Amino acid sequence: MLNYKNNLLIGFLIIAFIYSYLILNLDIISFFNGLPNLLIIFNEIHNIDYSLLSVAFVSMIETIQMAFLGTALGYLFAFPLSILASRNLASKYSYLPMRCVLAVVRTFPSILWAILFVIMVGLGPFAGVLSITLYTIGFISKLQYESIEAIDSEIIDNITSIGISKSQLIRYVVIPESAPHLLSQLLFTFDYNVRHTSVIGLVGAGGIGFYIINYIKFFEYEKALVFMLVVLITVIIIDLCSVKIRDKYIIKFATSKKLN
Amino acid sequence: MNNSLSSNNIIINMDKVWLSYDKIHYVLNEITMSVKQSTNYTIIGQSGSGKSTLLKLINGLLIPSKGKITVFGMTPNKKNKQFLNIMKKIGYIPQSLGLVKNISVLDNVLIGTLTRINKIKSILKILPEIEIDNAKQALELVGLEDKMEKKTYALSGGEKRRVAIARALAQKPILLLADEIVSELDHVTSKEIMNLISDTQHELKLTSVMIHHDIKLALDYADIVSVLQKGKKILEIGVNGNTITDFDMTKNQPC
Repeated sequence: MLNYKNNLLIGFLIIAFIYSYLILNLDIISFFNGLPNLLIIFNEIHNIDYSLLSVAFVSMIETIQMAFLGTALGYLFAFPLSILASRNLASKYSYLPMRCVLAVVRTFPSILWAILFVIMVGLGPFAGVLSITLYTIGFISKLQYESIEAIDSEIIDNITSIGISKSQLIRYVVIPESAPHLLSQLLFTFDYNVRHTSVIGLVGAGGIGFYIINYIKFFEYEKALVFMLVVLITVIIIDLCSVKIRDKYIIKFATSKKLN
Repeated sequence: MNNSLSSNNIIINMDKVWLSYDKIHYVLNEITMSVKQSTNYTIIGQSGSGKSTLLKLINGLLIPSKGKITVFGMTPNKKNKQFLNIMKKIGYIPQSLGLVKNISVLDNVLIGTLTRINKIKSILKILPEIEIDNAKQALELVGLEDKMEKKTYALSGGEKRRVAIARALAQKPILLLADEIVSELDHVTSKEIMNLISDTQHELKLTSVMIHHDIKLALDYADIVSVLQKGKKILEIGVNGNTITDFDMTKNQPC
C-alpha cells in the first residue's frame, strides 16, 4: 500500500491542504469566538409559534409537489439524452456533442437556474419546477449514461447479433439491466431535490424556502424554525420510505445475484 | 457423413482468414474452412487458441484483418443492413450466455422472437400469441416450462444455459453458433443438453458451428472436428459415429 508513489501523493495532498488553508486566510479562532452569537439566535426563540404549522405544512406539500414534478420531468428528459450520450449505444457523432451539452447544463447550480427562470416566468412554483427539471437533467444524465455503459458488453453484443433493432435493445436489455441503478438514482435525486427545492425558494421560486428566508430576514427565528422543523421531518420520512423501496427492489436484486 | 454429402450447399466459407486485434499479434492465422448445410462443425483447442474469435467472425461481430468470409453468400458485418437479415437467422450462444439477468426467463426467450415482431408493438410489449407460444415451446423443449416466470438471475448455471439455448431456438435459426455451451457443467447435464441440440438439429436441418473443450464430447456429436492451436488450424477430421471418415493434416504444423 504505502509505496513511494502513494507516499508522494499523500504528501502532496497534505501540502495542498495546508497551503489552501493559509492562502484563504481562514481563522479557526473566529469560529469559536462566534459561538456565543449563535446563542443569541437561540435566545430569541422563546416560544415556537405552532399556529404556523398548517401554513408550513401546506408550503411543504407545495415543495414536495415541485420536487416531484421537477424530478419526474428531468428524469424523463434525461433518459433519452443519456442514451444518446452513452458510448456503447450511440455513435461518436452523437455522444461527444451530447456530453458537451450535458456538461454545460450541469455547470449551473440549481439556484442559478432558479434565478434565470424567475426572470423568465416570474416568481412562483413554475420557475422552481423548471429549475429543478434542468438541474435534474444535468445531474442524473451523467449517472444514467455511466450505468448504461456499465452493462456487460457481451450481453449487448450477443443480442445485437440476433439482429434486433436499437429500440428493442433499449426496451428489453438496456432498461432492465440498468433498472436497479436507475431506480436507486431516481430515489436519490428525489430526496436531494426535496431539500434543494426548499433552498431555491430563497430566490422566490416558490415552496417552503420562500417563507424561511422571509422570516429570517425579519429576525423572526421562532417562526422560521417551525418551517425548518417541517422540512426536517419530511426529509426523514422520505428517507425512511426510500429505504423501504431500496430493500424491496434493489437490495433483493443485489443479494440474489451474489447467491448464484 | 449423412445428408450433408447429398446437399452440397456450403453455408460458411473462409478463405485464408487472418485476424488481429492490435495489428501486431495475429489471433487467427490463415484459417481456411467450409461448413456444409446440416453439418455439425466442431472446433476444439486450448483456451486462447482463437476459437471464440472465429465464431464472432461468422456472425459479423468481428471483421477479419485479411482474407475473405462468406456466410450464406454474404460477407458478415454487423453494420451491413443486408447482412442484418442473415443475422436474424443465426442463433448465437456466447460463452457468457449474454442473458438479461433482470427479466423473466420467458422474456429472455421472447427476445429471440423480436426480429419477427413489429417494432412499435414489441416496445409496448404487445406480442402476438403465436410468438409467445413459440417461446413457450422452446422452453418446454429445454425442460424449463415450470420456471418461465422466474427471474433469470435466480437460476442455476445449467438452467441459464438452457434459457440461452431456448432463446436461440425461439429465433428459428438456420445456423447455430455455440461457444463452449456445456463447459463447467457436470457430465449428465452436458450429455442432456448436447442430445437436445443434436435432436433439434436433425429435426430442423440446422447447421451448427460449436466450440468444445472436451474432445470426447466433440467426437460424439460432430460431423467434422477441427483443431485450432495458437490461431492455426492444425487438423480437420470427419467423424461418423466412432469412425474417423476423413483426415486432413494441414501443412501448418505447430511449433
